Amino acid sequence: MFRLVAGRMLSSIGTLLFVGLALFLLTRSGPGSPARIVLGADATQQQIAQFEESHGLDRPVLVQYGSWLADVVLRGDFGKSFVTGRDVAVEISASLPVTLSIVLLAFLIALVFGLAIGIAAALNPGGVFDRLARLGAVVGLSIPAFWLGIILIRFIAVDLRLLPPGGYAPLSAGLMVHVQTILMPAVSLAVYYIAVLARMTQASLQEALRGDYVRTARAMGLPSWKVVAYALVNALPPVINLAALSFGYMFGWALIIEQVFNVPGLSRALLNAISQRDFLLLQGIVFLFTVIFVLANLIADLVNRTLDPRQRSTA
Amino acid sequence: MDHIQTDRRRLLAGGAAGALASFLPASLLHAQPNDGKTLTIVLPSNPITIDPINQLNHDAMVLGQTVFENLVEYDVDGVLRPQLAKASPTISADKKTYVFELRDDVTFQNGKKMTAEDVKYSFDYLLDPGNKAARRSLFTRITKVTVLAPDKVQFDLSEPYGPWLYFLTKYMGIFPAGSRKEHGDDYFKSRPAGVGTGFGIFEEWKPNDYISFKKNPNYWQKGLPHWDRLVVKMIPEDATRVAYLLTNQVDIISAPPPREFNRLKTMPGVTGGSRPTLGGALLMYTNTLKPPLDDVNFRKAISCAIDRKTIGEKVYYGLLEPSAVPAPSRGWWYNAEADKELGFNLDRAKEFLAKSKYPNGAELDISIQAEPYLLDTKDAAIFVQAQLAKIGVKVNLKVYEFSVLIQQAIRGEHQMALQVFMSPGEPSYIIQVCLTPDQVLSKSTGYNNPEMNALLAAAFAETEQEKLKDIYGKIQTLAARDAPLGVLGYVHASNLWRDTVKDFKVNQGLTMFVGETKV
Repeated sequence: MFRLVAGRMLSSIGTLLFVGLALFLLTRSGPGSPARIVLGADATQQQIAQFEESHGLDRPVLVQYGSWLADVVLRGDFGKSFVTGRDVAVEISASLPVTLSIVLLAFLIALVFGLAIGIAAALNPGGVFDRLARLGAVVGLSIPAFWLGIILIRFIAVDLRLLPPGGYAPLSAGLMVHVQTILMPAVSLAVYYIAVLARMTQASLQEALRGDYVRTARAMGLPSWKVVAYALVNALPPVINLAALSFGYMFGWALIIEQVFNVPGLSRALLNAISQRDFLLLQGIVFLFTVIFVLANLIADLVNRTLDPRQRSTA
Repeated sequence: MDHIQTDRRRLLAGGAAGALASFLPASLLHAQPNDGKTLTIVLPSNPITIDPINQLNHDAMVLGQTVFENLVEYDVDGVLRPQLAKASPTISADKKTYVFELRDDVTFQNGKKMTAEDVKYSFDYLLDPGNKAARRSLFTRITKVTVLAPDKVQFDLSEPYGPWLYFLTKYMGIFPAGSRKEHGDDYFKSRPAGVGTGFGIFEEWKPNDYISFKKNPNYWQKGLPHWDRLVVKMIPEDATRVAYLLTNQVDIISAPPPREFNRLKTMPGVTGGSRPTLGGALLMYTNTLKPPLDDVNFRKAISCAIDRKTIGEKVYYGLLEPSAVPAPSRGWWYNAEADKELGFNLDRAKEFLAKSKYPNGAELDISIQAEPYLLDTKDAAIFVQAQLAKIGVKVNLKVYEFSVLIQQAIRGEHQMALQVFMSPGEPSYIIQVCLTPDQVLSKSTGYNNPEMNALLAAAFAETEQEKLKDIYGKIQTLAARDAPLGVLGYVHASNLWRDTVKDFKVNQGLTMFVGETKV
């Protein structure tokens, strides 16, 4: 186990270094200077040059990268936002809990409903529930999250007045108020992944139920629920891998959802950083997304290892 | 049994109702800081700063104008009136010296009395190049600020330059002597508590969410403001901004979606208002140094081929006031004859094209902005493309982000660029910035005409409106003769607000003014 974790950590460091460099090259190669955004259309070339000099933007890109990397590794310093002047770490720590709460709730919803629908459909092949699940999956995969968000705002918030149209209340404001503000964004985010996970669970479980060991177990007279439980353990690894990937992707989709629901989260901070050419904040957030993605995959590997003895013996 | 089933159903229904009850509207209020005497207004974008000397966004100027004030104010109707000064300044005969007498009842939010020393300190700070104020360039003609008495201050200018008074409201503010050194620039940028004389005291900035202010209890205009707390929320998404208003989560929104504006303002509980700005122009930067725009007749052909009235009425639903010259049709300096010269007339367009170096038409790139600002210029660009095709001009539309497009215009790398340009709303700003040399957007047109420069200098030295009208009329005639800058019209400022809001007026200068608003 230790060797697996250590090996994955090492390869993850390589991934992070590569992502950091790619980010640097991409952000610096695009047109548009942060100075123009911060100082405005009326700024003179002299003011632009002063800004770039004081923020180190006039140095070669690789020198900037080296300096940034040294600050991050040696001092844990991600720099200061060009636009607000605040520490990038402070900016991120203010908005991370917001995004995390939405993504976690969305993930929970996707996992619970995705698995439940997938299992139910797999156990009743060709039945009404199977057909409904298939139809639901097609609809879930086809509905863009931002459109669903707008529709929910229209009917749930504006017409029925059941939930607020947007915004965010932290957990400290009370559990119910907190859930009220993140429920619609989380549902909008989860619907696509419910469909994806349900389809994968259904296909994987149906495949497992066709296995010889299932036939043998049934022939030996094992209770039906026990047979399904055995099959489910074997069907889960691809679902877990997909769920881990989905968790990472949800941070990306949250970009749109937070905009629609006016949620002051990480993704909205990222969008602002892109439009305002706030390179250091942009790097910090994308770097964090990469870390989350890598960690999610690592956790998926570890869970799969626990479920599948064959993986333990090959590791 | 039936009885039991019914009870079970009731029980389930009761449970569901109980669960839903926790989601009822009353609980929505917890999520939003909107109660009692709190006025909540909404901006369509995220502000970068509150500091007026570095403010770029006209919507976000409401933040600075809540905290800071100026000697004179350019008000919501476009009228210049005294604010921290007792009256309009006394101006010397050579128009180079301005003397202001200050009000003696003004205190800063930190309790300190405002004096001429504070005014001098504020301007000295703005004008010091070392402080890198983004708006310094507008005031560099001020060579010296002198304290004549505790309540009297004198400004000396290097040359006559009347417009500087009009720029104060948007780009300047008075702060206490020594405050910049004491607190630092970041303080003015993100938490300027106590350093202004305005009706609101900075309270909190929650990034990407809202900025709040509390009532200044010692405000010199007694009885104002009428609210206890002002919350300025940032909601970039149009549909969400509207949903907040319709669900009573906020009181006033800016930049309502043009397509929906007329419908929304008639909805129950909602009021809407709109008026043309005096300084928000939909401009076409025509690069006169690049073919085919290097030919005056070609430029005139383009101008005359565009039906501005239809763009205003059909494309922008009445939220664009047509004008072909750099003056709004409701401005006192507007020259209708000059406008007619460049206005829509397809026959004249064809005549001008025939007289140009490109009688058979030409191909042209128009740069347009990706992100809508006040209006979505892409809508007008498509219409312009179709209209110019009628005279044989093929238009290629190229979409760029704001920061890229403005760089193109500043460097003169474009052929033609379409953009909403927001200015303070007085007559000289757009002319000076786009049509005279050594200005930020001089290369956007590449135009340099001594006749234009002389007329503008004469306008700077004049203070009487009748004489100014004559001078600006001549400037527009010249602009109609040379067609160095394409103008499609002047945008409307518009707002939607709840019926519970009273005494709110749409500002011709776009920025919401909420000092006198009741909720």
